[in-house]
Amino acid sequence: MLKYLAKRGITYVVMIFLTTSAGYFLAVSSLKPALLEQERIPRPTPEQVANSMRLKGLDPDLSPWQRYVDWLTAIVTRWDWGRSPNGAYINAEFGDRVWISTRLFLASIILTLVIGVALGVYSAARQYKFQDRVITSYSYLAYIVPAPIAYFLVQLGAISINETVGDRIFFVTGISTPGVAPGWPQFVDLLAHYVVPTVAITLVGWGAYQIAQRQYLLDNVNADFVRTARAKGLSRNRAIARHALRVSFIPVAQSIAFTVPAIFAGGFFAEKIFAWPGVGSWSIDAISLQDVNAATATLAYGSVIFAIGAILADFATTLVDPRVRVQ
Amino acid sequence: MSSKTTTGATEPARAGVERLHAAGLHAPADAVLSVRGLNVRFNSENGVVHAVRGVDFDLLPGKTLGIVGESGSGKSVTSLAIMGLLPPTAQVSGSVRLKGRELLGLSDKDMCAFRGNDLAMVFQDPLSSLTPVFTVGTQIIEALTIHHPAMSRKAKEARAVELLAMVGIPSPRERLKAFPHEFSGGMRQRVMIAIAIANNPRVLIADEPTTALDVTIQAQVLEVLHTAQEETGAAVVMITHDLGVVAGMADDIMVMYAGKPVETGAVDDIYYSPRMPYTLGLLGAVPRVDVTEKTSLVPIEGMPPNLLTPPTGCSFAPRCPLASDACLDGEPDLEPVGAGTLHRAACIKSGSLGGSVDVHDVFAAPPVPVSRFDTVPREERRTVLQLKEVRKHFSLTRGALIKRKIGTVKAVDGVSFDIREGECFSIVGESGSGKTTTLLEIMEFHPGQDGEVVIGSLSNKQAADAKTKAGMRRELQMVFQDPTGALDPRFTVYEVLAEPLENAGMGREAIRKRIMELMKLVGLQPDHVNRFPNQFSGGQRQRIGIARALAVNPKLVVLDEPVSALDVSVQAGVINLLDHLRADLGLSYLLVAHDLSVVRHISNRVAVMYLGKIVEIGAVDRVFDNPRHPYTRALLSAIPVPDPQLERTRERIILQGDLPSPLQAPKGCNFATRCPVFAALPPAKQEKCLTLEPPLEAAASTADQRFACFFPDGELDEDMLVVHETRSTIPPEISRPQAPPLAPQ
Repeated sequence: MLKYLAKRGITYVVMIFLTTSAGYFLAVSSLKPALLEQERIPRPTPEQVANSMRLKGLDPDLSPWQRYVDWLTAIVTRWDWGRSPNGAYINAEFGDRVWISTRLFLASIILTLVIGVALGVYSAARQYKFQDRVITSYSYLAYIVPAPIAYFLVQLGAISINETVGDRIFFVTGISTPGVAPGWPQFVDLLAHYVVPTVAITLVGWGAYQIAQRQYLLDNVNADFVRTARAKGLSRNRAIARHALRVSFIPVAQSIAFTVPAIFAGGFFAEKIFAWPGVGSWSIDAISLQDVNAATATLAYGSVIFAIGAILADFATTLVDPRVRVQ
Repeated sequence: MSSKTTTGATEPARAGVERLHAAGLHAPADAVLSVRGLNVRFNSENGVVHAVRGVDFDLLPGKTLGIVGESGSGKSVTSLAIMGLLPPTAQVSGSVRLKGRELLGLSDKDMCAFRGNDLAMVFQDPLSSLTPVFTVGTQIIEALTIHHPAMSRKAKEARAVELLAMVGIPSPRERLKAFPHEFSGGMRQRVMIAIAIANNPRVLIADEPTTALDVTIQAQVLEVLHTAQEETGAAVVMITHDLGVVAGMADDIMVMYAGKPVETGAVDDIYYSPRMPYTLGLLGAVPRVDVTEKTSLVPIEGMPPNLLTPPTGCSFAPRCPLASDACLDGEPDLEPVGAGTLHRAACIKSGSLGGSVDVHDVFAAPPVPVSRFDTVPREERRTVLQLKEVRKHFSLTRGALIKRKIGTVKAVDGVSFDIREGECFSIVGESGSGKTTTLLEIMEFHPGQDGEVVIGSLSNKQAADAKTKAGMRRELQMVFQDPTGALDPRFTVYEVLAEPLENAGMGREAIRKRIMELMKLVGLQPDHVNRFPNQFSGGQRQRIGIARALAVNPKLVVLDEPVSALDVSVQAGVINLLDHLRADLGLSYLLVAHDLSVVRHISNRVAVMYLGKIVEIGAVDRVFDNPRHPYTRALLSAIPVPDPQLERTRERIILQGDLPSPLQAPKGCNFATRCPVFAALPPAKQEKCLTLEPPLEAAASTADQRFACFFPDGELDEDMLVVHETRSTIPPEISRPQAPPLAPQ
């Protein structure tokens, strides 16, 4: 198993290298930070611009290939991902933002999964009954409503709670309040910032899992092996819980592992709306700011997360399905 | 009696049902299972389907009841109703009593005490009936845990090992940890039986337990069921569409049609003196593997009735050649066919159908067609297909980037045969023997193939251009196994039939004419050409498939399991059609079939394949009447014959294990690992089988028969021989105690 995972790991490292390199070439040949510099007032001379860029390692006069070699050498030898046109170091910026993204999404991903799968099972067991109709209708609604609108509605809800109570219980934007005393007050402050985005992302997210889990379970509820289990003397519900559930979880386990990276790297709306400066918003900003190194770094991060997701998917599938176990 | 009674008060059969309910009060006290007036209705989009209409039977300990019927006759629904496994939307009424305890009306939870304990079931499809994510051991132990929660882990494991050993799974202790996907179909069915008998059930219901299996595996599984019944003393309900399977096993038979039993009685009564035209037709529709003389099969025209509307007369009347106006006046009840017998039939004419009635006269079976080639000696006829040393080897590789070869699967390994004009040549063998690959190799027709395929005057070695290939397609056409899957659902029959003709460059008017001709040729109404395939029945769809193959006037038609997806009565019609087309059009057939009875009926010559090689080939009567290769002997002996007395007394060879994986094929004779002769040979002679490959050689006589075996006359290993004891010592009345002794037939 370890050997198998190591083999998969190597394959993904190669793939990450290829996508990142391709991304760098695309960025370096289409993003021109020098053009933005020229909009400054007073307008710098082209020589000044080129000089400032050269100092940051973004020399526009070098060939893309030369810049790629320099960029790659810096990463391989010094783990230096370069600088932004504004002079910021990618490594430092990245470290901050990854932590913010992780904090924003981790709890909601876990909640989304647990609630989604549990509701899927619950609604499948009550197919076409009132509870099933309510839950499944909600999930389809969550599918249809654009995420920004849903987030905004949750914000409005939090604000109205604040107003009703007459005190500020929840923060609807931001990560923390500056200058709060460390210890208990800081923890409460953190929590107050944390609740609204977590609830919002969870509420929108579980629908997909609920629909998938319900569907896969219903596919298996009338399977021959469930009938066999019932013929052995298990009641219908126990036969479903013991035999159908695990089989129906196999495709869900795979989809989970693949949606995790999508949330992590693509949580642009959530980060913008709740004003959490994470990786998702950075990747979009990097493009508008003609920032070659930041754009490539976020791309590399996305690939790594995706590879981790894929390995997790393999791992999860192997765990629940003996048919794919590697000898 | 049951708290529930039949709800359909308007139903004409109600009086009969009530009478039987009353009879239920006097059901034999020692019956383990008594079913009275069982009715099942389903709500469907089109209305209420009355799937089971009044089933009654009593089952005595240790006895076997065979329920026989075609698809849709209600036999499986009956079994699921007894088990309480029907969906909650099904309306079940009547009475099912297990050891005197009423089961109908019990909640799912209450039924759990009976299911898997006193009442167990084996299902049809072993591949999907076991949970894929649990080990076999877990699934057997689960059955024990449910009903014996106090049993220790160790005791349960020991019992699971014992059960696996009982159903004949080698090294049972290790196999407990195996997952279902690591077992073959036959092995999985054994596991299903082990689960079913885990708690020594009083009643074991087997719903088509061998339909999905090869004949040799079927014989093994039937043997296991037999052992299981002996070990547990359970009463068995055997549900099947195959009259052969139950002939040797059952004590009583119930024939079902359109949801209703139409004839019941002791097995000998049903097989030797059927009194209901449907039973008569079913028996006549089955080809026999043990009969040399060729007679046409009895086709039962038409389709079973729709169960949405209650029948006003005999439900079989529309298909019955004996039907008269009286038959349409009310549905006949099951009545004893004579005084003092338990043989009952639901037919107003049962009295006139004695043992002497010839089914061929009743059903107006067509005469045996005579081909113009029948009188021409084989050597003087033109060769339409010749295979010379055709081989198809697949390399097994390992590794993702760099492929390493770890072995070769010899799917087809040096196959040679020829087919002459007007002849039907069949290939038989278990799944995995290379039959289908051989067909695919013929259809492939590519110069790069290993070996030569000559179709008519065209050889694959010269088939470089598309024109030769098109020419070959005009010589040879194919009919596929699944008539539903082989027809495009969005094409009308006209379009299906026009396509090959358009490809052949025929004009519009000529195509139209040819299609009308084809429809008549295969026995379909020409004005149905604008219908879609789903508007036809299975048998009619297969006729469309045959018409499509015949459109371009081929010389040779390749038939890949052409009737295996069809019901017995429909199958007979298609076989008769194929027979008659061969005679009338001078066609040759290459038939692949697993049903050796069909092969015997329709073929002139036959080849038996095992692991990619032909082990015996020759004239069908020679090979079937005097098989020389042990594998042919085993195959033939594995086929159940619809003749109870013969079935009980005949000696059969039960091959051990499954077809070996082609990777493990032995060096010498492929069959040595399972051979009953090899097992009985002294070691010195065994050496020869293991090291040398037996050549395909002609038998000593000049007859058309060749086989590949060094010791065709060797004695068979006794462990592999099974003869079921004749049951003549047990009077048949025991199974039906309310009945006065039966008059001898």
